[in-house]
Amino acid sequence: MLIEKYSFAFKDLKFTRNSIAMAMGYQLNSVNPQVEEEIDEVLAVAENLCNIKGGYKIFDSNVLEKINHKLIIENQSLCVHPIVFRQIKKTESIAVFLCTLGNEITRKSRELINAGEPLKGYVYDTFGSIAVEAAMDLIQEELRMKSSLSGLKITNRYSPGYCGWNISEQEKIFSLLPDKFCGVELTDSCLMLPVKSVSGIIGIGRNVKYNSYTCNLCDMEKCLYKNLANSSYSNDFNTGR
Amino acid sequence: MSDILERLLHSVESGKINRLSPFPPSLKGQDGADELCKQALDEGIKPDIILNEALIPGMSNIGEKYSQGRAFVPEMLISAKAMTAAMKHLKPFFISGEIKRKGVFVIGTVAGDLHEIGKNIVSMTIEGSGWEVVDLGVDVKADKFLETIEKYPGSVVGMSALLTTTMASMESIVKEIKNKYPGKVIMVGGAPLSHEFCNSIGADFYSPDPRGAVEFLKKLGA
Repeated sequence: MLIEKYSFAFKDLKFTRNSIAMAMGYQLNSVNPQVEEEIDEVLAVAENLCNIKGGYKIFDSNVLEKINHKLIIENQSLCVHPIVFRQIKKTESIAVFLCTLGNEITRKSRELINAGEPLKGYVYDTFGSIAVEAAMDLIQEELRMKSSLSGLKITNRYSPGYCGWNISEQEKIFSLLPDKFCGVELTDSCLMLPVKSVSGIIGIGRNVKYNSYTCNLCDMEKCLYKNLANSSYSNDFNTGR
Repeated sequence: MSDILERLLHSVESGKINRLSPFPPSLKGQDGADELCKQALDEGIKPDIILNEALIPGMSNIGEKYSQGRAFVPEMLISAKAMTAAMKHLKPFFISGEIKRKGVFVIGTVAGDLHEIGKNIVSMTIEGSGWEVVDLGVDVKADKFLETIEKYPGSVVGMSALLTTTMASMESIVKEIKNKYPGKVIMVGGAPLSHEFCNSIGADFYSPDPRGAVEFLKKLGA
C-alpha cells in the first residue's frame, strides 16, 4: 500500500483573512472591524504557530469491499452514511488521510482564553480550523494530480463527524493508518490530539465525481464549514465540504 | 431611563469596553462601560438599578441579535468583556449583599470533551443576566460536578458536549447527579444535542443558544 507524507509551511496555504471571518458567520464587507484587526494579528504570527504535517495511505481494490452501505477496508467496516456511500460507491481505491496543524495554535488559544482574552482565543481557534482544512486542500490536490497521471479522478473528502458519519468511526480510520501518523493520536472519546487535525477518506477511480458544493447534503445547521460555503465569498473555499 | 444608563447599556451592547478601546469606531474617544458604570455610581444611581436597567439589558440585546443571526460569537465575547469591565465596580455591592445574585449556575464541558467556546459564551451570558457562574472548565467528570453541587446546594447545573461520543458521557453524568440529587435542575447544550436527547437522558432543559438558557433560568426564578 502506498503511503505519502507531506510537510508544509504556513505560506503554502491558500486562504485569506476573509475566509476566517466568513467561517465566523460574517458576510463579505460586513465584518466587525475589531475582528478584522484580531484576524490580522493572528495571520502575522501564524507562521510560528503552525507545524503542518499530513498524508494518506492508499488501499487498492483487492482490500476493498462495498456492501450494504458499508465500506470495508482490510476488514475494517466503515459505516458511512448513505450520503457518503453514494459518493464513493464507484471508487476503485480509497485514500485514508490525516492532516494536522500541530498543537501550538490550540495551546495559544487556550492561553488567551484563560488570560481573559476570549475574543483573541476564539480567533486563534477559528484560524486553526480553517488553516488545517487549507492544508488538507493541498494534500488533496497532490492526490488529485498523482491520480490524474493514471487517468483516475478523486471524490470529495469525507470525515467521521460530518455528513451523518458517526464520529466514533475515527477509531477505524486510525486503525488503518500507521501508529501516531503525523504525530496525531485519538482520545477515548474520539477527539484528535492535536485538536486542529482532520482525517477521513477520499475515493479514487475512473468514474467518480468531485462536487463543488456538498454542504446541502448534510443536516448539521451550526457548522462553520457550512457558514463558509454559504457565504458570498465561497470562491475562497474549495474543499467540497 | 437616565442618559448615563442609556449610554452604559449601549456600551455593553456594542462592546465599548473603556475610553481607550478604539472599537466600535462610532464610540472612539468616548467613555466605555468601565467609566460609565463608575460615573453612574458616583451620581448616586443604585447598583441594582445599574445592573438591571443597563448591564443586563445590554447583554440581553446582543444575545437576541446573536439568536437572530445578526451578531456572531465575536460580538458576544466583546460585549461580555464590556460587561465584565463594568461589573468590577459592582463587585463590592455583591460582596456586601446589597445586590443579590439570582442564583448559582455550575457549568462544565463533560468528560472526554475539550470544546469550550460555546460553554464560555453561555457562561458569560448567564453571568451577564445576574447569576453567579462557577465554570468547571472542560473534561469534567461526574465527581467534580457532584463535589461542586455539594458546595453550592441551590445551584442549577449546565453541561456542554460537542461530540456524539461525549453525549454518552453526559448521559451518565446526568444519571449520577439525579441519583444523588433527584431535584437538581440540569440544563444541557452543544451542537449535536436536541430536545429529544435531553428528555431521553433525564435532563431538564436543552437550549440551542445562550438566550434560551437565560430565559429558562428567568422562569425558574419567577
